[in-house]
Amino acid sequence: MKVFDQLSSIFWFVISTAVFIESIRLGIGKIQNPGVGFITLGASGILGILSFVLFIKATLTKEEKETEPLFSKGRWPRVLFVLFILCVYSVVMPTLGYLLSTFILMTFLFWVLERRKIWLVFTASFLSTLISYFVFSKWLNCQFPDGLFGL
Amino acid sequence: MGFFDNILYGFQITFQPINFLFCGIGVLMGTLVGVLPGIGPAGAMALLLPATFQFSPTSTLILLAGIYYGVQYGGSTTSILVNIPGEASSVVTCIDGHQMARQGRAGPALGIAAWGSFIAGTIANLGLMFVAIPLAYAALRLGPPEYFSLMCMGLIIVTYLAQHSVLKAIMMALVGIILGSIGLDLITGLPRFTLGINELTDGAGMIPLVIGLFGISEILENLEKSLERDVFKAPLKNLWPSLKDWTQAKWAIVRGSIIGFILGILPGGGAVISSFVSYAVEKKVSRNPERFGKGAIEGVASPESANNASAGASLIPLLSLGIPPNPIMAIFFTALMIHGIQPGPLLIKQYPDLFWGLVASLYLGNALLLILNLPLIGIWVKVLRIPYKILFPLILLFCLIGVYSINNVTFDLYVMIFFGVLGWMMRKFGYEPAPLVLAYVLGPLLENALRQSLLISQGSFLIFITRPISAAALGIAFLLLLSNFFPYFRMRRREYEKFNE
Repeated sequence: MKVFDQLSSIFWFVISTAVFIESIRLGIGKIQNPGVGFITLGASGILGILSFVLFIKATLTKEEKETEPLFSKGRWPRVLFVLFILCVYSVVMPTLGYLLSTFILMTFLFWVLERRKIWLVFTASFLSTLISYFVFSKWLNCQFPDGLFGL
Repeated sequence: MGFFDNILYGFQITFQPINFLFCGIGVLMGTLVGVLPGIGPAGAMALLLPATFQFSPTSTLILLAGIYYGVQYGGSTTSILVNIPGEASSVVTCIDGHQMARQGRAGPALGIAAWGSFIAGTIANLGLMFVAIPLAYAALRLGPPEYFSLMCMGLIIVTYLAQHSVLKAIMMALVGIILGSIGLDLITGLPRFTLGINELTDGAGMIPLVIGLFGISEILENLEKSLERDVFKAPLKNLWPSLKDWTQAKWAIVRGSIIGFILGILPGGGAVISSFVSYAVEKKVSRNPERFGKGAIEGVASPESANNASAGASLIPLLSLGIPPNPIMAIFFTALMIHGIQPGPLLIKQYPDLFWGLVASLYLGNALLLILNLPLIGIWVKVLRIPYKILFPLILLFCLIGVYSINNVTFDLYVMIFFGVLGWMMRKFGYEPAPLVLAYVLGPLLENALRQSLLISQGSFLIFITRPISAAALGIAFLLLLSNFFPYFRMRRREYEKFNE
């Protein structure tokens, strides 16, 4: 955990510094009449100090047990794959339309954890897409994009 | 209208077909969410919120309250049968609940959990009715300095009760305040931290943030784990606890209800901490503490009563002060704001239908949980056996639809994915999302109260310590922070962290 704390404290220190600088640029006003950046200046200032304290605390701490790896062996690629297809889905959904893009997404998601028979994957994807479309679009009046093919 | 007229009025509203239906859907959805891994109450509520936009605020709140209650109940089912808590508030139930199941007493364990929840929920509802109204009247006298100090105290309590490091929890609260400031400034209308992105002028968005931090991150974490679960296979019988069970559990239920109610009202308190405290108290007062951990029925009755009582009580600060005491109530707060209702001391007076309808729905929800769930326990066990590889694509799809349907823009999906990755990393690095979410909601209110207070006092911070309520709230917050430096509290804290692990 020691290394994790050191890394994360550096991350939050960088973030707090950026917010602190931006708060000054926005204007902190006067104490009688606080400006736009007043509260974020205070919050980022304290965050910076606490990140520094965390870094020092982590550095001075003796590691009692061996640090577990950040990503579990063998399984993390599928997490990255799911994240990747979620990002792709967000980009292509307005163009391809809800039905087509969701069908493709669900096919990948049903396939990613277990390589099942392809007709089973297609059926599950087709049904989940269609049911979700009818429930949310027709029943609950959510507005989904039609996309290029009008689907 | 008199007190009983108000209650009758509330039941009239609750028994309207749409509200009755929403209450039923809420408790069923809540139980399902509690039983299933991969999505917690905050995520589920945020997910369903966009679907309620076309309904009245009363119906929306009844649905959300049903989910919250149902989750507390459903979480205990997985704790008892699988030894995996469906929700954080059911962690303690695993200890004795699963031991009872292993001894062939899963039925009485589930039965006492359901009855305990019902009794505690009813006690909490009574408390809600008697405490919320006087508190709302008292709150009319509070000004910006008191609100600022109360919110500070709430945030400090949330960080103090964090399951991991207090330091990290405070850092997350500060990150939440910074994230809450994204968008147009409340007073000047100038954009802040929008990075030139038009969609961020309205803020990052509560729903994408909550679904990302609680829903997506949990799915990503689960994808890294082994997905096999060993579900209890023996037939379930004797769901009605025996007379001996009742004798052993009755005071545990009462004590759990009282502890849950008191901790639920406190800003920063909630179902999780009350279940832990009630279990510890029960073990302490027991004549045979050695039975705990080996299948003591009090070890199931007390935390299950406490988490339900706390769920009802945590509505009090929201409905009477307008301050959400925990992240779940922050979603209730957002729901009210979306429907154009400002939570605060005037809410009960201005929207009696909403308040009394909600109170009556809590009674109905409790009764429905008992009537529906005990006979349906077999179905929930079957749901538990659905493989995660089938569940997770469906949960992800609901997350995507739920977030997209708020504004019908894909930008919200990017925000959700961003917070999903952030939440996943936070879990790995030992940071909790709860203080962040609460601070995100309280941030703009806190800032407003601070700026107004400083305008009133012409820049003097003494205004926060010269007013008694404000001084008391800040004093409590300060003492809590200070307590981390005392050896006794540090030792207790370490025990608490170990217990959580």
